[in-house]
Parts: sequence; C-alpha cells; structure tokens
Amino acid sequence: MSYLIASDKLGKIGDLYVAKAGINVSALLASGFITELAEVSTTEEEKPAKTKPKKAPKE
Amino acid sequence: MATSTYLSTPVTTVNGIDLTDQCTGATVNINYDQLEATSFGDASRKYVAGLGSHSITLDFYASFAASETWATLSTLVGTSTTITVQPVAGSESATNPKMTLTGCFIATLPIVNALGALGTISITANGGVYTTDITPA
Repeated sequence: MSYLIASDKLGKIGDLYVAKAGINVSALLASGFITELAEVSTTEEEKPAKTKPKKAPKE
Repeated sequence: MATSTYLSTPVTTVNGIDLTDQCTGATVNINYDQLEATSFGDASRKYVAGLGSHSITLDFYASFAASETWATLSTLVGTSTTITVQPVAGSESATNPKMTLTGCFIATLPIVNALGALGTISITANGGVYTTDITPA
C-alpha cells in the first residue's frame, strides 16, 4: 500500500509518504495526515470483442 | 555549571509529526532495571542492567486545529508510536543528539481546560526501544 502526504506537518503535500520504522500509519491515516494512493493498474483493459452488426434481411 | 538552555530551539516529533510549535516541555527518562549481581567474594554490591523501561513525557498546548495536537494525539491513544526529542533543530551530532523512543505506548490523553487559560495536553509514552542518534542524516 502506498500513501501520499496530505499535511505539511509531515512533508511536502502530494509527495509519496514512506513510513519509517515505528510510525503508526493507521493513526496518520485516521487523522488525515496521509491518504491512500489509489493503485494504478498496469494491465491494459480488455477490448470488447469486435462484432459486426448484422444487416437487416432484405425483403 | 548549566550548559543547556532550552528556549525555542528543541524539536519534538510524535509519530513523525513535528509538534515543536505546540510543545512547552519534554522529559526523557532513560531507565534500566537494576539487577543484583553481587556474589560471594565481593566486598561491595554489584549490579547489571536489566530490561530497559524508558518513558517520555511531553507537554503541549491543546490545539484542535487541523494537523495539530488533537489531530495527532487522539488517534494514538492506546497504540504504540515513535517520539523524538532533539535539543536543537538541525543535523544530529554529539552535541545535538536526537533521542528516539520507538514503539512506545500512549495509554492516556489528559486534556486540561481551565477558565482564562490555554488548554493543555500532557502525554506520557512508556516502553519502547530507546536510541540516541548522533550521526548527521
């Protein structure tokens, strides 16, 4: 899990937060000092299968 | 002769948060259990160090503003954290050691409110591993 700094008391806001040993990350999250960084998917989204629209039958 | 004057320079952090601007006092107690090691043949008592039993007491103004004392401390009660105290801001050195208590437990959060006075919060963190850092970062 990665975190972003959300308070200038911790560092530059928006920077990646790397917790040192002994730091209570849960408390920092609960108090809003850091926020969870949304995981970015590295896999491409599956493209929908190409389907040709059926032509209407000729009358 | 007194050689350390604490005016506005000490740096105090709790859980990585710099609360220096709210802190008015810091007491670091470095303590080890004293174990008897005297044996026959000794003319005087001898002792060896047992388990470390350290604590840090910090006095703060009670600020309920964002990212201040209440926000920092209220979520730490009943949990373990890390506290640092350094005499002067700047690089660690033999004359400016950073005292760190890692994994210390905060059991209570007493908030003192008095008429006509600034509110205060004094916490005592017990236990944990004590280290002194004198190596510049």
